[in-house]
Amino acid sequence: MKYELTDDQASVLAGLDQLLGGFDSAPPTAPVLFDYAAGLDRTLAESGFLDIAREDGFGALDAALIVERLARLPQVVEAAASALVAPALGVPAGTRPVALLSGPLTKPARFLPQAQVLLADRGDHALMITVEPDNVETVETLFAYPYGRLKTLDGVAQTRIDDVAALRRRWRTALAAEAAGCMASGLETILEHVKTRQAFGQPLGAFQAIQHRLAMAAETVESTRYLAFRAAWSDSESDAAIAAAFAQTRIAQLTYDLHQFAGAMSMTLEFPLHLWTYRLRALAGELGGGSRQARAAALATWGEAA
Amino acid sequence: MEFGWSVEEEAHRARIRDLLARTLPADWEQISLHGPGSDAQTAYAREFCALLAEHGLLVPNWPREYGGEDAPVWLQFILGEEMWAAGEPRGGQYMNINWVGPVLMRYGTPAQLEKHLPPIQAGRSLWCQGFSEPGAGSDLAALRTTATPVEGGYKVSGAKVWTSYAGLADTCFLLARVPAAAGGPEGKAGIVILLTDMKSPGIQVKQIPALIGEGDIHEVFFDEVFVPAADRLGAEGQAWEIINYVLQHERVGIARYEFSRRILDRAVAKLKADGRWDDPILQEKAGRALMLCEAARMLVYRIVDGKARDLPADAFGSVARWSVILGDHGVNEFMTEFLPEGLLGEDPVQQAHHQRAIAASIASGAAEIQLNLTARRWLQLPGEKRR
Repeated sequence: MKYELTDDQASVLAGLDQLLGGFDSAPPTAPVLFDYAAGLDRTLAESGFLDIAREDGFGALDAALIVERLARLPQVVEAAASALVAPALGVPAGTRPVALLSGPLTKPARFLPQAQVLLADRGDHALMITVEPDNVETVETLFAYPYGRLKTLDGVAQTRIDDVAALRRRWRTALAAEAAGCMASGLETILEHVKTRQAFGQPLGAFQAIQHRLAMAAETVESTRYLAFRAAWSDSESDAAIAAAFAQTRIAQLTYDLHQFAGAMSMTLEFPLHLWTYRLRALAGELGGGSRQARAAALATWGEAA
Repeated sequence: MEFGWSVEEEAHRARIRDLLARTLPADWEQISLHGPGSDAQTAYAREFCALLAEHGLLVPNWPREYGGEDAPVWLQFILGEEMWAAGEPRGGQYMNINWVGPVLMRYGTPAQLEKHLPPIQAGRSLWCQGFSEPGAGSDLAALRTTATPVEGGYKVSGAKVWTSYAGLADTCFLLARVPAAAGGPEGKAGIVILLTDMKSPGIQVKQIPALIGEGDIHEVFFDEVFVPAADRLGAEGQAWEIINYVLQHERVGIARYEFSRRILDRAVAKLKADGRWDDPILQEKAGRALMLCEAARMLVYRIVDGKARDLPADAFGSVARWSVILGDHGVNEFMTEFLPEGLLGEDPVQQAHHQRAIAASIASGAAEIQLNLTARRWLQLPGEKRR
């Protein structure tokens, strides 16, 4: 049991930070619902960070560390599915961005407008679907990700993957790691706000009613992060479902509180909070949402009824 | 970063489980029903701790010069997990190992070490913690019990409340205040710590009947109790530093989530046996309780990891403490909703868990204090203006 980064992990994250230093990581000044960083996305892919789980001596935990770090950025890139899900499903390296979907194949999916491949949970199996840009219709949404849906399934190239459990397991870990990064930056944004914004003669953050909820938020952020990292490390069904269940079931309260403490300002596109909270709210419903992950955690841990 | 156990750690856990399986009496569930402070458990703890001492498992975390083995922090923590999960057969003596011994080693005089460590090492001593008072609970610095300097020591007068194990304890780790009239400074600086013999004339202990088990909480009255100066721990004015050291050791000393997790495992086994485990609502709720236990485990492990690496303690302990409370409450709520029969005489272990869980957010400083500490020290939020 070691919580300290290994030399390799520290070195990978230092390298990532160096790469990120070459890009603008300030929140966008234009009032946008999200800011897809296409240049950063390409550079990340070319530099090999998103393929780390495929490298000898590295694995899913290293990928989760990267995903969590990238999710802290105000800009959006598709990293979680590429780094954590695709390697476990035999998606060739470099075939990305990757979109994920459960349910009907024409439902909106995150990153579909950019994706080369769509991985779909079909219940008893998974499908790998080649995405043609002409076959994607962009979906307008408040969620802070690019969304799209397939226009038609006619003539779409599909490959069946039997190991749907691997898709769900890695998807759960990926969404927990991504949520952890979004939560951390959302909380940080509000901490800055409540330390400086004065009301009734003192900073908002001096009021105990606010302090207690932010303290609870801190526990949510820390727990989500470590559960996600453990899930990536063990790659077990149980840990992955626990991590996803925890992350998803905490999103509603966390995002409510963060918005609440910035008041009306938090409802504007000028204030950057939504860049993380509306990613979180999108993640809250993936794979059927937190209640389903909680049930999956129970079944993965204790098994079905005899 | 990695989240696995070493071969040595796994073997250590297996050894402890084996010892527990071979040692705990057949009626252990009944013995442990009333909690670590009960007469039965205290009596059994003397036998059990002596056995642990024989196996080198009572104080292995202590330095060799004090009779320990300098055992790695994780091995000691695994021992704590297994003990608490088994209903704490060490009774109140777990405190001796977790913090009484270490605080004495750090701040005690040679005479105090000689007097107090051997009985702890032999598994024969029981301490109580004379901290809370009717007017000073989480706000510990408001304590009013007085320690008036007299020839050769102090005369102590006042009252303590909620004191665990006081009825059977040999020694009290007592906090009292040197009164202003006797030259004591105001606030925290006026507090002294007195290692008080509970057989001293003038001490009266009254058990408080409670929901949380027999012998767990007491009122302790001090009427002109003489405590020799030699029994003061540390210098006058040093007490608050020592108290903080104690609280750092105490606040994450108990692996509550491990007991909760095992209760949950038992509950699911019972629900399966009863043919109720095919209910999706029940499965989902069990999963929610499970995730809370595991979150608490991850945060507590982060603190243990810090100790294992000799990092200075930080405010993360308060973050973890909140998580531990949520884990205990989550499991307790699940049990109360789906297995209420456990609290109707069918399951003494469930009842014991319930009794620990309802105290989790109060014992060792209220949950709200942990939230305050998290806000101020972890999140660096400003203090509230006094109005």
